[in-house]
Amino acid sequence: MWAIIKKEVRTYFLSPIGYVFIGLFLFMASMFFYADILVTGSTMFSSMFYSLSTILIMIVPLLTMRTFSEERKDGTEQLLLTAPRSVTSIVLGKFFAALIVLLIAILLTLIYYVILMFLGEPNIKTSLVTVFGFILLGAALISFGMFASSLTENQVIAAIISIAFYVVTWIGTPYLSSSLEPLGLMNMFNRFGNGQIACTEVVAFLSYTVLFILLTIIVIQRRKSVK
Amino acid sequence: MITVKNVTKKYGKFKAVDNISFEINDGEIIGLLGPNGAGKSTTMNILTGFIEPTEGEVIINGYNISKKPKKAKKCIGYMPEGVPLYKDMTVKEFITYMAELKGVKREQIKESVEQAIQDTWLQNVKKVLIRNLSKGYKQRVSMAGALVGNPEIIILDEPTVGLDPKQIIEIRNLIKKLGKNHTLIISSHILSEISQICEKVIIINKGQIVAVDSPEHLEDTVNVEDAINIIVEDANNKMENIEIKGAKKIDLIKKNDDNTKEYRIIPEKDYDIRKTIFSDLAKENITIFELKKPEITLEEAFMDLIKKNEKEKEEKAKQIAEEKRQQEEKKQQEKIEKREQKQEKKNNKKANKKKGGKK
Repeated sequence: MWAIIKKEVRTYFLSPIGYVFIGLFLFMASMFFYADILVTGSTMFSSMFYSLSTILIMIVPLLTMRTFSEERKDGTEQLLLTAPRSVTSIVLGKFFAALIVLLIAILLTLIYYVILMFLGEPNIKTSLVTVFGFILLGAALISFGMFASSLTENQVIAAIISIAFYVVTWIGTPYLSSSLEPLGLMNMFNRFGNGQIACTEVVAFLSYTVLFILLTIIVIQRRKSVK
Repeated sequence: MITVKNVTKKYGKFKAVDNISFEINDGEIIGLLGPNGAGKSTTMNILTGFIEPTEGEVIINGYNISKKPKKAKKCIGYMPEGVPLYKDMTVKEFITYMAELKGVKREQIKESVEQAIQDTWLQNVKKVLIRNLSKGYKQRVSMAGALVGNPEIIILDEPTVGLDPKQIIEIRNLIKKLGKNHTLIISSHILSEISQICEKVIIINKGQIVAVDSPEHLEDTVNVEDAINIIVEDANNKMENIEIKGAKKIDLIKKNDDNTKEYRIIPEKDYDIRKTIFSDLAKENITIFELKKPEITLEEAFMDLIKKNEKEKEEKAKQIAEEKRQQEEKKQQEKIEKREQKQEKKNNKKANKKKGGKK
């Protein structure tokens, strides 16, 4: 799995995708830092992440859309699937590589926390819990994006499927059914705002992530039989 | 050792590979031969574990590739058709990644990668991005990816397709070199290539194995008995009506530009026709320019075997259709007979009733 993580992270930074993702993420972070924190005079570091979460659903597909569809289109999946590696390790390798890029982007936003420390006294506990929730949200989004990428060899279609799903789980759940509302990804993330780690939400985020990783593994295994 | 047992691959109702079985021993160089769409690549993809067979099993060095894929795949180095490569990597990075994927031990990776680079003559381009390489080089990089880690079995799918003649010779030499200490399976639709490199040929057509034999044997199997080819000058077209003692058949093969004609003469069994050809043709004033035993190439053998296979299939299909028709006719006949019997019974009953009524 390590070989795949290493190669994937490298590929993100050999192509513009990694830089575009981190660049967009930091640019939007700086905008929200200015608008939500500096302009309002707040010391709520977490408020920047709430605004960033709406941007995340638009840019996570940049990381995930090529994971499997590009390999399928270029035929390189043949190299992966004929190597003595399990499908699980291939899927996990790609998942963790995308997560690492997201973590790098999140780590870089900590500069704003340092700036905030000079301007006031931000609540470290609330900030850390929010960042933790944000990482869980990111993991759930990445796992679905990867699943969408395993369904098609067209990266654009993979990205559209991902964004459509994210939007439905963000604003669409109350319209679909009121009982689904608490399961909306954004609603779950919002519950991290009080500085308490919400166990139900942690479990729900992890379940989302594991579910779509499993579905990706199933899709790839199944394709071996029907291909 | 590779054992393929009753492997079938279906796509809906279409059978890409239909119940094939064969064995490949250690150190053999095998050519998988067949026209385009015969099922070569599907067979290779099944052998390498890229796709699962619908039925049957593949055993690589004692490991079933569906049940113990890791162990089985570790024995194989595969160069897929179309040479898929990560084009944003340099040659060395790609081969190193392939070594890591194959689980080569960390301390052996460097040495193994260097060896593969050396074996495929890639020293000059090892730091070049793959996207900037020519097709021949890309082919070699893909081959290096298959070689790295020194797997016992190397499978090459159409290794020379799309290359120029110089590159073909280079790749062919490389394959010959590899064949000295690996089990090699090469698929190709170019016959001359297979006959030059391989010790054994598996001919596939429409998903079925048509023949498994050495190239020489295959050529012999279609050799036309003791046929003789002659090139003659025959200005008066006397060859058309000539009678040669002991000749069963005389066929015109081609007319040459220098007004000579080439004929194939098939003699009766165990009859040496060479003497009579000379004497009988001399009587008719036909000059013989050349007399030789025809050389059947692997190409002819291949075409012949495929034609035979298709003919057999056609005949089988016809036979099945005929049997069906006969069965249907029989059923129809039986129905008519039953209907007639019923009618007869009814008529009898009516007649009996009438008789009873009269009484």
